[in-house]
Amino acid sequence: MALVSKARTEKRAARRAGEMGARTEYLAFALAGEDYAVRIAHVAEILKPPPITEVPRASPTVLGVVSVRGRLVTVVDLRRRFRLPEATVDGLPDRKARILLADVGRGEQIGLLVDEVRQVWRLAADEIEPANALGGEQPAHIAGIGRPANGDGIVLILLDLHPILDSP
Amino acid sequence: MAEGGGGRDSGGDKARDEFFSEAQELVDGLGRDLLALDKALKHGRTDAELVNDVFRGVHTLKGLSALFGVTRMAGLSHELEDVLDDLRLGRLELTAGLLDLLFRAVGLYSRVLSAEKGDGEEPSSEIEELLAALGQTSQRPTGGAGGAVAQYDLDPALFGVLTEYEEHRLRSNIQQGMSLFRIKVRFALATIDSALDELKASARPHGEIITYLPTGSGADVDTIELEILMAGRGTAEVLRGAITGPNVVIEEVRRRAAATSALPAAARASGAPAVTPAPEAPASTVASGHMPAEPPPGVVATPPARGSGEARVPDATSSGDAMAVAAPAHPTRGGTAARGAAGDMSLRSVSQTVRVDIRKLDLLMTIVGELAIVKTGITRLSERARSRAADPSKLAMELQRLNRDFDRHLAQMQGGILEVRMVPLGQVFDKLARVVRQISRELGKEVNLVVTGAETEIDKLIVEELSDPLMHMIRNAIDHAIEIRADRLRVGKPPIGTIALNAFQKGNHVVIEVEDDGAGMDPRVIAAAAVRRAIITAEEAADLSPREIFALVFMPGFTTRDVATDMSGRGVGLDVVKTNIAKLGGVVDIASEVGIGTKITITLPITLAIINVLLVEIAGRLFAVPLASVDEAILLDGSQVRAVDSREVLTVRGASLPICRLDRLFGLPSTRRAREYVVIAQVATRRLGFVVDEIVGQRDIVIKALGPSLKGVRGFVGATELGDQRVALVLDVAALVEEVLSPGEARFLPWQPAARRA
Repeated sequence: MALVSKARTEKRAARRAGEMGARTEYLAFALAGEDYAVRIAHVAEILKPPPITEVPRASPTVLGVVSVRGRLVTVVDLRRRFRLPEATVDGLPDRKARILLADVGRGEQIGLLVDEVRQVWRLAADEIEPANALGGEQPAHIAGIGRPANGDGIVLILLDLHPILDSP
Repeated sequence: MAEGGGGRDSGGDKARDEFFSEAQELVDGLGRDLLALDKALKHGRTDAELVNDVFRGVHTLKGLSALFGVTRMAGLSHELEDVLDDLRLGRLELTAGLLDLLFRAVGLYSRVLSAEKGDGEEPSSEIEELLAALGQTSQRPTGGAGGAVAQYDLDPALFGVLTEYEEHRLRSNIQQGMSLFRIKVRFALATIDSALDELKASARPHGEIITYLPTGSGADVDTIELEILMAGRGTAEVLRGAITGPNVVIEEVRRRAAATSALPAAARASGAPAVTPAPEAPASTVASGHMPAEPPPGVVATPPARGSGEARVPDATSSGDAMAVAAPAHPTRGGTAARGAAGDMSLRSVSQTVRVDIRKLDLLMTIVGELAIVKTGITRLSERARSRAADPSKLAMELQRLNRDFDRHLAQMQGGILEVRMVPLGQVFDKLARVVRQISRELGKEVNLVVTGAETEIDKLIVEELSDPLMHMIRNAIDHAIEIRADRLRVGKPPIGTIALNAFQKGNHVVIEVEDDGAGMDPRVIAAAAVRRAIITAEEAADLSPREIFALVFMPGFTTRDVATDMSGRGVGLDVVKTNIAKLGGVVDIASEVGIGTKITITLPITLAIINVLLVEIAGRLFAVPLASVDEAILLDGSQVRAVDSREVLTVRGASLPICRLDRLFGLPSTRRAREYVVIAQVATRRLGFVVDEIVGQRDIVIKALGPSLKGVRGFVGATELGDQRVALVLDVAALVEEVLSPGEARFLPWQPAARRA
């Protein structure tokens, strides 16, 4: 019985999506009090931060490396990358912190440390403002602003991961 | 790439992999055969069997590449096949020049394969050039012996049935002054196969059987009469003695009184080449026409003053008279030669396949069986542990025993797998022999390559990465070190230069030496060039030992030449060699003596896969130091440390040892400790002590590479998992020793991003 109703709900959701045009799924996360989102297609996995091994002499935005099932993954601190204030004094990630395993199909996956993973938003084209709506020059990694219609006025900073993965 | 991609979907990835490995093997085989041909040619012989092998190899490649849609390769093979066919059939004469073209083809094959794999560009224009050169070659018949054949009283109809190859063998035998014999034999049909083989065997010592044909006369239903045409050295009498039997008739084919008769019409009708005794094209012109790298003697474009600035030929002004004559005599290679195959070719094979002796696999299988037994033991034990009645101390003992077994078998397994990865260095040495031949011809210098220790085994991965650095070094040696013949004779050296390639195992390392008996390097010239290039200052140069000076040739941007068009001035310098070797965890050392020669020594680990490390703690972090480069670890005695220049030096057993505080080098927070340790690392002959806080212990680890995003970070070869989710970085000891101890800027400045070197 429960299965049937679930299938029905999904069908209804799919129909509604079809009526409203193509939508893109974004994963929203928090960083220094702001809401950010990346295309979910570019996130391979969400990890609880394992112990991170610092790599001396690496760029300051690189927190270090972790092992993900036998593979070494470089972890970038998005706060540092975006020049936001440091999360904690002792440098240890918060209990809610997660690592997004970002993969834009170039071979190397990069871990991005974020404060907290929130939810998935399905944004239609008319819910996304281009980056230049903010006025002036914006950094390359800002793809636009998402304003979900049913989001109670939430503003999502949509990120393009390519520039971040090109130079972590 | 675009043109080669046609058949990409025709087979799966696996089929494609097999294609690469098979094609690579064929190409390698071609290279070996060509080298053997070259050797035979130097002794004035052409080995018909080898030409045939090459022909067959190319033919197979053609089919294979066409099947996989590698059209470039198929096209090249097709053209080569024509030329080789002409060679095989004697329409073309094998010359050194023609061999050059064939060697070039082998080089191009490798590059096409790499391009197909997505590694590098398709050498389209070079292929076009080669095809054009081959096209010209095949249009020049050597002709020759047609008239000679006509002297013999042979049945014109015979020529109608001879294959082209048989006809060629006939001609070439006659040219060599052999006599012709006609042998008629009657065989019983039932036993003809074995009887014919027997006859062939008894005839072989006396000559070559050209062909055999049924005569069709006088045969009854159970027998067949064959007429055998044979060329031999002896007389009919001798042959009659050798080939005996009731039904054998042997007679010599007589020569005609005059060689008036042209080749019978039947021969032309059958499509045989028109063999007129007409102009014999001197084959050498065919070859040299396409070899711009062979300047005629006397054409020396380099102004003498410039020629003296080479890396290995010391400056005329600063070293004796002998050198002064050596320098200007170097033939100059213009842009054409620089563009030549040696300049941008890669010897790396595209194949990732390792051929394994089945016995090695059997051994592994046995070990897997043993491991399965251990596993069964564990299962049984865990069942017993679940039952209440089990005695804990007995269980513990049993578990301990199983653990020991498991350890032992795992170690065997590791050893076995490592062995499977091992391949003999001969694989890469073979290819280098090809390079030596090619470059020495391009530069017009005679060089003898002497190889020892080709059977020394090393990890397949290392062999692959090794081929290009070795090629650079050998090219450098021929280009800069080996003097031209006249100069060698003048200083009393053998006219032909020697390059020795020696390999041997030394503990956990493989040592490869590239040694030449060329002009040697003058430290003063090297230092002057380094100062001129602003690699070091004149003051620093004055402080350096000859050994430190030689190390300068490995610095990026180092060259003693000012002419940019020269092979050496094109950025493919020794620094690349050094970087590549360092990536493999190896070190390069150089020793040289003016007038005697130069020896470059490469020391490499045998394998990259599993290594034994020493875990150490620095500022609360764990690092792994490969034990292969650790001599010993001692307690740091602070009273024995002195600051010399900008460096700390520790006195150990009466000798000085430079030390390096890793926390400082890595920019980690310094933790003052009462007890500190020194891990003494030795790389080739250089020693350095790393100061660490704590020695944790030894461990066998598997190194994993850091991601490309960290490739700019120097000092680590990778990292390893410690089993509890933690990761420890593995120090790149060779790079760190180099960084701390090397002369020049690296010594005087703190760490700089590696991107500068790229």
